[in-house]
Amino acid sequence: MSVNAWIIVGDQPAIGNLITIARSLGGPVGAVVAGPRSVAETVAASGVDKVVWCGAPDDVPAEASAPAVAETVAADPPRVVLAGRNPGERVLLGAAAARLKAAVLTGARTVSIDGGDVIVVNAVFGDIAEETVAICGPVALLLDGGSVPPAAGGSVPIEEAAAAPLAMKLIETRMSGFDQVDLGEAHRVIGVGRGLAAKEDLAMVEALAKAVNAEIACSRPVAEGLNWMGKDRYIGSSGAHIAPQLYLAIGISGQLQHMVGVQGAQTIVAINSDPNAAVFSQTDYGLVGDLYQLVPAITAALK
Amino acid sequence: MRIVVAYKWTRDPAEATVRADGTVDWSRAKPGLSAYDPVAIELARQLAEAAGAELIGITAGGKGVAVPIASKAALSRGLDRVVVVEDESLAEAGRSELAAVLAEVVRHIGDVDLVVTGDSSVDVAAKMVPAVLAGELGWPAVAEVTAVSGTGVQAGALRVERAVPGGVQVLEICGPAVLAASADAAVPRVPGMKELLAAARKPVELLELAALKVPPSSAIMTVTGRSRPERKARQGQLIDTTDPAAAAAELITALREAGTL
Repeated sequence: MSVNAWIIVGDQPAIGNLITIARSLGGPVGAVVAGPRSVAETVAASGVDKVVWCGAPDDVPAEASAPAVAETVAADPPRVVLAGRNPGERVLLGAAAARLKAAVLTGARTVSIDGGDVIVVNAVFGDIAEETVAICGPVALLLDGGSVPPAAGGSVPIEEAAAAPLAMKLIETRMSGFDQVDLGEAHRVIGVGRGLAAKEDLAMVEALAKAVNAEIACSRPVAEGLNWMGKDRYIGSSGAHIAPQLYLAIGISGQLQHMVGVQGAQTIVAINSDPNAAVFSQTDYGLVGDLYQLVPAITAALK
Repeated sequence: MRIVVAYKWTRDPAEATVRADGTVDWSRAKPGLSAYDPVAIELARQLAEAAGAELIGITAGGKGVAVPIASKAALSRGLDRVVVVEDESLAEAGRSELAAVLAEVVRHIGDVDLVVTGDSSVDVAAKMVPAVLAGELGWPAVAEVTAVSGTGVQAGALRVERAVPGGVQVLEICGPAVLAASADAAVPRVPGMKELLAAARKPVELLELAALKVPPSSAIMTVTGRSRPERKARQGQLIDTTDPAAAAAELITALREAGTL
């Protein structure tokens, strides 16, 4: 049995979307797991045809198994290699792509097979344009991993890869104290930008979030630089892409790199003091004014 | 003792427009050092100073990446020298081809202990070049690096902190490695007149692509179509905010009618 598509799995078996895409291409689907044994077991029960576990100890990060992943994939060369969008799996996908001398695409909207070619509709340059690309030869695709796949009926056996891990060791994990969030699950999201003057003012936004039952997110500088929130809360081309019913942008200027992350929102509302802010050309309802007056007014009106 | 920073001289798609046929018009976008590269250079500079290492910038790309203003922009941020591969054929190169070229540049330099890159490029934002580069070199790679400490590069054991959901992990890495810095890994300094003048005197090595033995890609990519993605039409309705309470009421009514509240 030769594998048509390999799925690369790191610390989490969140590969539901990858399995769906790999299956749609036809042919056997293999998974190579660089994370813990428990992840390999979940993957083995998810309906893939073959599972190879890299067997690294628990105090070794998934990235250390890059050679094992590359060797496993190259030993049974596929047409397509898939991995989820997170730092560990990016490194593993890069190792596999280097070994296969594969093309690498990160903005795939659709993937299909046409004779000898893999056809990918690929978003480019911060999603401002799309290209249809025909690839003759192996291609590595970085995609949204999706959720943990439900167990299929029965498991495939877990094979073990032999390659030695790279010299990397996990010394410690320190939690930041920020609550973790899955913005993709939220029906309503409030995005906070640099228009907010101080971290203390987040309390005002939190009151509104409570009133409309929304999750709070932010633009990149608020999470990186200002460090007011965890990095899993920033929206944009390199952060979260969300499609909630309602996105309320507060003090956000509306730069391309942020707005591509909310294109899928059903309704977008923006509050900004600058009438020329780019955000107003991309919203359903715009409120030009002082967010310190408008946000409490909306909260009060909802009560 | 050598530390390499891979940087990119490119344009910001926020300044580009997309024509109806899907081709991108870059004519109004000014080229510059890619947004997060100053962070990578600053982080690498701090490591190089601590270790007494030579700090070398590398870049590869199509026409324009070797212009003096590009090399000066990178050098003025504290690099000792730069090695540049400019070749027309690299303008349309994919992530894996660029990474393969950069890997050969690292081998050409020789005795490199560490490669640092930015978080992502401002134009492509794929975050894949450091990953493939590490794969080409057979080195460990870590992305989203927020800090580097410990015994330092010299002792061969790096302490690397990287962001993970909900916190940071501390990793120890032996031997040469590729690190992709997170956007807040260091605060870049704005170069002054002194740094700009010094940059003009620093060495720039131009490498011919043909002189590097870059292994060929196994994949042939052909663009068969381009399009401008359909954006969801937005209403663009401005609500009068003279009276905040009335504005709030109007917004809430509109959102309830739209079924989003």
